[in-house]
Amino acid sequence: MGVRFPVAIAATFALLCTLGASAKDTVKIVFIGPLTGGVAANGLGGRNAADLAVKVRNADPKAKYTYELMVLDDECKPNVGVQVATKAAADNNVIAGVTHYCSTVAMGTVDVYHRFGLPVVVWGAVLPDITYANDYKEIHRVNGTMINQNETAARFMATLKFKRWAIIHDTTDYGKGHNKYFTEYLQKNGGQILGTFGVTADQQDFSAELTRIKELKPEVLYFGGITPLGVRIRSQMDKLGVKAVFQGTSGIISDAFVEGLGPLAEGVIAFREGAPVEKLPGGRVFMDQYAKGGYSDDPEAYGPFAFAATTLVLDAIEKVGPNRKKVRAELNKTADYDSVVGKITFDDHRQNAVPLITKFVVQNGKWVVWEDSEYASGKRSLVRK
Amino acid sequence: MASLPNGLPIVSDRRASPLPALGALVAGAAAVLGLLLAEQQWEVATLAIVGALALLIGGKLGWGEVIHRSATDHHRWITPVAWLTAALVIFGLREHNFELLMLCTVMLYMVAGLGLTVQFGYTGVVNFAAAAFMGVGAYTAAVLLLHTGLPHVLVILAGGLVSAVIGSVLLLPLLRTRGHYAALITIAFGILFRTFLEVNDTLGGPQGLKVPGMEWFGLVFNDAIEIDDETEWSFYLRYAGLCLVLLFFAYHFVRRLERSWLGLSLDAVRLDETAASAFGLNGAAWKIVAFSIGNFLAGMAGAVYAMVTAFIAPASFTFGDSLILVSIVILGGLGNPLGLLPAALIVVVLPEKLQVIQEYRFLLFAALVIAILLVRPGGLIPRRARDYFPGAGGR
Repeated sequence: MGVRFPVAIAATFALLCTLGASAKDTVKIVFIGPLTGGVAANGLGGRNAADLAVKVRNADPKAKYTYELMVLDDECKPNVGVQVATKAAADNNVIAGVTHYCSTVAMGTVDVYHRFGLPVVVWGAVLPDITYANDYKEIHRVNGTMINQNETAARFMATLKFKRWAIIHDTTDYGKGHNKYFTEYLQKNGGQILGTFGVTADQQDFSAELTRIKELKPEVLYFGGITPLGVRIRSQMDKLGVKAVFQGTSGIISDAFVEGLGPLAEGVIAFREGAPVEKLPGGRVFMDQYAKGGYSDDPEAYGPFAFAATTLVLDAIEKVGPNRKKVRAELNKTADYDSVVGKITFDDHRQNAVPLITKFVVQNGKWVVWEDSEYASGKRSLVRK
Repeated sequence: MASLPNGLPIVSDRRASPLPALGALVAGAAAVLGLLLAEQQWEVATLAIVGALALLIGGKLGWGEVIHRSATDHHRWITPVAWLTAALVIFGLREHNFELLMLCTVMLYMVAGLGLTVQFGYTGVVNFAAAAFMGVGAYTAAVLLLHTGLPHVLVILAGGLVSAVIGSVLLLPLLRTRGHYAALITIAFGILFRTFLEVNDTLGGPQGLKVPGMEWFGLVFNDAIEIDDETEWSFYLRYAGLCLVLLFFAYHFVRRLERSWLGLSLDAVRLDETAASAFGLNGAAWKIVAFSIGNFLAGMAGAVYAMVTAFIAPASFTFGDSLILVSIVILGGLGNPLGLLPAALIVVVLPEKLQVIQEYRFLLFAALVIAILLVRPGGLIPRRARDYFPGAGGR
């Protein structure tokens, strides 16, 4: 062996030293969302947005750490959610999480995060109970709840002088929750509900419900549910001659809704948490970078929230270092934080307390912010003759 | 092996060596540990390749026969050793939360799979609502734990009983139909069950229910086990133990059932109902027995599953989950309780290990399952001819 062995060792050692000096420590965070199944589009949009946030940070020479994003699929099923949450939370290398689009999954996993002390920021699930039914310091949420959405919706529709509503909602947690909160706030604002109809999420024919609604003569039909069902109901309304204004929730604000309905979508109104991304300076940067990122799927409605949540988590780690307890305390303190979805301030239940609600209306085949639309300026009218 | 002209092996009185069975046991335990602990892609890939090779080479060389002979010749002590090995595997994972949770899921799916084996494998009663019956057990357990002070061991039994009772609603239509029609009835029940839960607010509605943990004589299952300041054992360790006990009883119950005259009757009903009734067997009665036993097992598995995951929702017990259970039973080898272990491991753990490929994992997973069934159409460990005399190795 002779001289070569010590030389080899020295060379290796020197190499390791230089590597150690130049490389930053790697910090792992986790993203959990539905990547397969019925709502996979939203999960993939969120995943891409979180991935983008991590890539942007890793490209920043000022960042103290290199970040690694662990991505897990919860399939929008609570039992799978508990499994993957346990996987992430029991892994001590994972410092924080950006988790869940589906409310029912988030309800099942909050206990897991609390048990293992993994701080997480919810990026899409809207059920109020996720933050309000517990007092776990680990659970934060950047998106608003369906309470905020419906409060604004009810108040706004009352200012438009509508009085009589009929409600169709799907029987999932999403539709039932929306029905509950909208009804509550509508009655506070003096609106009258003529009839409420629950339908399953895969129902095809609504003649029975719509015929009854036609007799009730409501001014507005409130729909609590998501795009595919909304498209079916809106088109069948037209066939049966129901003239009411179609009012939806965040679940129908998608390009698929407008494309599926064509001219019938005109004048449909809906509400979503968050400032319109295109209007915020950071939001435009997000959209540009997302487009450049070469992702094959759209960010969808909640992509910006996943981006904001991930950035929030990364900022906290940058500030206090990769330690779960410190990151948790740092996240708890979040106030007046600028993000692509507007300011973020957590209340005593770590729920974003300043959820902006944006009003949208379909005009010429596009979702337009209400204030910019011809409906707001009085050029067009929601009421169909 | 030499054989007689009619293809039957020459019967020898010599007892086989216990080594092949022990070897299979060790290899099995190593495979379980390896699969659960594998983190890197290459580790999972290596395991998959080794497994596939063992399956192919073993199939060609007749290892299955050798192991079976060795195991049945020494079954009196091989069986306890096997259970002991299982307990040791669980204990070895005492600090691994996630792996223990996966193992619990595997064992509970096996218990439900045992129920399907009785229904589907022995008696030929189709059931595409096994997950719904697990759900009945799970919801029963949740309600009893939340609203009554019933001892928790009884809660598990109650889960099974309620599941069997609710299953009896299906008996009349099931007995009046055959084949595809009977399958359709169970599918309808599964969908009905889910819709019922979604509109039922007292049972948590679509958002589901939190389930309190198990307690047994003051032992709180949900507390972590603190050994000293440094080490802490996972709270899932107790649950894994509980699942193993449940699996032990379920497994031996089904094995005994198969070997007894009851099992013979069930098989006869499946193979030829007309012939069976000509011999005085009441086909309808045996179907009722099998269907209820199967649902009872699925219900108990569901009750424990609810406690382990601590949260249940209708979305956890869908038609898709029922299909997963059916595929476990078919992949393992219809009618062979032993085949459930590798099948449940593949179906439950593998998709989890494929998380690295994210949205494409089910694609790869499905291709893999199809490939296995192409190579081994009878399942991983096909059911063998009945052993009339225990320990005779099929002789």
